[in-house]
Amino acid sequence: MATISGLTLVWIMLSVVLSVVMRNLGLQPFAWLFTSAEYGLLYMTMLGAPWLVREKGHVHIELLTAALPDAPRHLLSRGVAAICVLVCALLAWKGLELVMTNIERGDFDTRAYYYPRWLLTIAFPLSFGLMAVEFSRFVFGQELMHSGEAGIHE
Amino acid sequence: MEWYEALALLLGTIMFLMAVGMPIALAFLAANIVGAWVFMGGERGVTQLLNNGLGSLTKYALMPIPLFLLMGEIFFHTGLGGRMFTAIDKLLGRLAGRLSYVTVLGGTAFSTLSGSSMGSTALLGSLMVPEMSRRGYKSHMSIGPILGTGGLAIIIPPSALAVLLATLAQIDVAALLIAGVVPGLILAGFYIATIWLQTRIDPTAAPAYDVERMSFPAKLGLLLREVVPMVSVMIIIIALMIRGFVTPSEAAAFGALGVLILAALFRCLTWKAMKKSVIGALRVTIMAYLIVFGSATFSQLLAFSGASRGLVNWAISFDLAPLAMLLVMFAVLLLLGMFMEQISIMLLTVPIFFPLAHTLGFDPVWFALIMLLSLEISFTTPPFGLLLFVMKGVAPAGTTMREIYTSAFPFIFCSLLLVTLLIAFPQIALWLPSL
Amino acid sequence: EETLSAVHAFPETLIYTKSFLSFVEKVNEAGKGVVQIDVRGGPEAIGMFQQPDAVRDGIVDMVYTPGSFYGGALPEKDAMVASNLTAVETRENGGIALIDEIHQEKMGLKYLGWFDSGVCYNLWTRNEPTFDADGNLEVEGLKLRGNNVYNAFFTNYLGAQVIDLPTGEVYSALQRGVVDATGWTQIGLIDLKWNEFLNYRIEPCFFSTDLGVIVNNEKWNSLSDEARTILQDVAIQHEKDSVMALRTKRDEDFAALDEAGMTVVSLEGEAKANYLAAARETTWARMKEVMSGQPGGADNYDRLIELFYDLEAAK
Ligand code: NA
Ligand code: NA
Repeated sequence: MATISGLTLVWIMLSVVLSVVMRNLGLQPFAWLFTSAEYGLLYMTMLGAPWLVREKGHVHIELLTAALPDAPRHLLSRGVAAICVLVCALLAWKGLELVMTNIERGDFDTRAYYYPRWLLTIAFPLSFGLMAVEFSRFVFGQELMHSGEAGIHE
Repeated sequence: MEWYEALALLLGTIMFLMAVGMPIALAFLAANIVGAWVFMGGERGVTQLLNNGLGSLTKYALMPIPLFLLMGEIFFHTGLGGRMFTAIDKLLGRLAGRLSYVTVLGGTAFSTLSGSSMGSTALLGSLMVPEMSRRGYKSHMSIGPILGTGGLAIIIPPSALAVLLATLAQIDVAALLIAGVVPGLILAGFYIATIWLQTRIDPTAAPAYDVERMSFPAKLGLLLREVVPMVSVMIIIIALMIRGFVTPSEAAAFGALGVLILAALFRCLTWKAMKKSVIGALRVTIMAYLIVFGSATFSQLLAFSGASRGLVNWAISFDLAPLAMLLVMFAVLLLLGMFMEQISIMLLTVPIFFPLAHTLGFDPVWFALIMLLSLEISFTTPPFGLLLFVMKGVAPAGTTMREIYTSAFPFIFCSLLLVTLLIAFPQIALWLPSL
Repeated sequence: EETLSAVHAFPETLIYTKSFLSFVEKVNEAGKGVVQIDVRGGPEAIGMFQQPDAVRDGIVDMVYTPGSFYGGALPEKDAMVASNLTAVETRENGGIALIDEIHQEKMGLKYLGWFDSGVCYNLWTRNEPTFDADGNLEVEGLKLRGNNVYNAFFTNYLGAQVIDLPTGEVYSALQRGVVDATGWTQIGLIDLKWNEFLNYRIEPCFFSTDLGVIVNNEKWNSLSDEARTILQDVAIQHEKDSVMALRTKRDEDFAALDEAGMTVVSLEGEAKANYLAAARETTWARMKEVMSGQPGGADNYDRLIELFYDLEAAK
């Protein structure tokens, strides 16, 4: 999914360049170029987010974790990761419900085209579901989310 | 629930979660779940949160950020950046902290074309910080100036935020844009003075390595070979924007394309560099956007619950002298700015503050400029200023939030100084539009 | 006393929002002790495009928004977009009752009133527009800003080169020459300051604003009869009042624009008829297409057109 996310970024660049070039050549840029770039932002973020959890790329503040001794710090770190799992799991579940509602209501996103809304919202259960899995590694796995160093570094 | 209870609940939750080390984006999401549950009627509030996220992410205005990041990352990973900075180093000779000055000057120039402070910070951060830390600059010498100039983007025209504010407040757009020029330049001047002071106080902050002396023709050759091509990419983008071929949002895509072409011409474009650049840009973008996802809804909860409006109305309910009233409004803007997204703050406060400013006898253009400055400052104010997190994303591994906070402070102080000057001498802002 | 929470799609400073707020004031005055509306804010409280879903899901009880913001769920809003009538006539002829019925059926919403109607759209250009031998507008080389309300007309009929831009970017796009023409309602151009760059208004105007008040059905049904009567009566009165108020505002805006040098250019005769016909027919075609894809199909199509368009008046 991180690969798809990366390719989406490249696509966003190309679609913007293409639509500007077409416009300045006096052609009508395909409206889907513009819309696909907007949708691309959502797909790129949601599909890449679980990968970033694994990479510990979601920034956090190490204030309390840095001040604590090892044992309570480990406990706190796993506890925080557990809350993250809960949050993501809840959002994945509500996301799935939203997808179902969108399908049931036949919702469309109406920018340039009538694009089925569930094709967008499906990103939520996928993304948050996998984020829950990735965060649970920090609850049960060897590695901890918090280094305990950052706040006292320097 | 009273507004202050709502405010305490929302802010209390988010601050607690951040303090215990929850990733910022997740802390926002968790606080939103709590808030949505309380203020939006339980479970369905959570669905609303997801719908909001969908809306806040699929916005064309967000487009420049990943693209500017991509531009900066390609510049760095292909080695173009290294070559250019080596050249600049040699050209500038012994001046201590020279790359910091370059950052301010380049950043100010870049701000004039970009209306997006997140975009500017993304670009400058990914262009400059890795190179500067490789050259032995202490982190505050690179991070501080970039955070400062990132904020310049919204007061030096063109600025999308300034146009929006002028439209909302029904004041002259052109006057507000022009009013930003002189204060913007003064602020850039303050930044330069700050760097000079910092290198005087701590000479080790910037590397003092000696540079070989060069003859003038050699310098000229270096300039033409290493600096001019990159600078011309920037100039071409600016020209494209001025001639109306591209909008500022689209300019970023051409910037990335331009650097790609340049890298191909210099034969340093490899698959490996490309892949690294995409990954680098992706990391920061996803991190920042997930925060946008969370904070957009958080802003809305503050508004929907009545917390922010309650605060605003309470603050202006005191019958104070005009100057004290101005400071109260400024403080409210700063406070809201720490937690809310800029456009939401404007939507919320403009209908209340501008009529008040009118009765107090303030010039609306001058007041709007002060408002923009406060938004700019809150964008870089610890602990939640979004630019700080963008910076954390582009800074080399091991850079701590504390380093970023302390780097930001001197530059925030510069902005506050400017606000003080504007209050004392409104002509700084109003002289140019009056011509 | 019962209370409904409400949000509005546009910023508080916009004329249409002010109109809604004056409706709220009237309700709160007439409904003392019975029913009150508690306005929670605008797009800063719930995102502009999320508001229709929010009222559907019962997160907020009442929303003031253009139908176009939920056109995917309710394509019938295009009957109002293409309309040349106001709420006053369509309230009388049963058009709004039909729209209300469709809202209940398709979205579980009560359609309380169509406010600020009777305001139409013009094309505004920077350079003097040119016409072909038959008097038709020449759009070749026009850099026209569009959005999904007008594009069916602009692209399918005019064949114009449309550049999609959010409203907030239009000012700087005009300034830089990225676009040099845009559609906009008769009023509001001055508030957006686009008149700094636009010099010509092309007549006739086409389309209509489609702003309305929608209420969550469960909430609506839970209200006392007295509360419902007050809300409905005040809404019907405001439908009338707002038409008058905005006409006055339009005349003021036009006068101010005139004075500032805005030139009016008109299509005439057959060219004018074709232009208007294209505006409504491309929009109706879009409506029919989307309706056909939904449960119920295009059953209401003919009735909607009959109730919302006066062919005689267009001649
Ligand atoms: Na700018
Ligand atoms: Na902020």
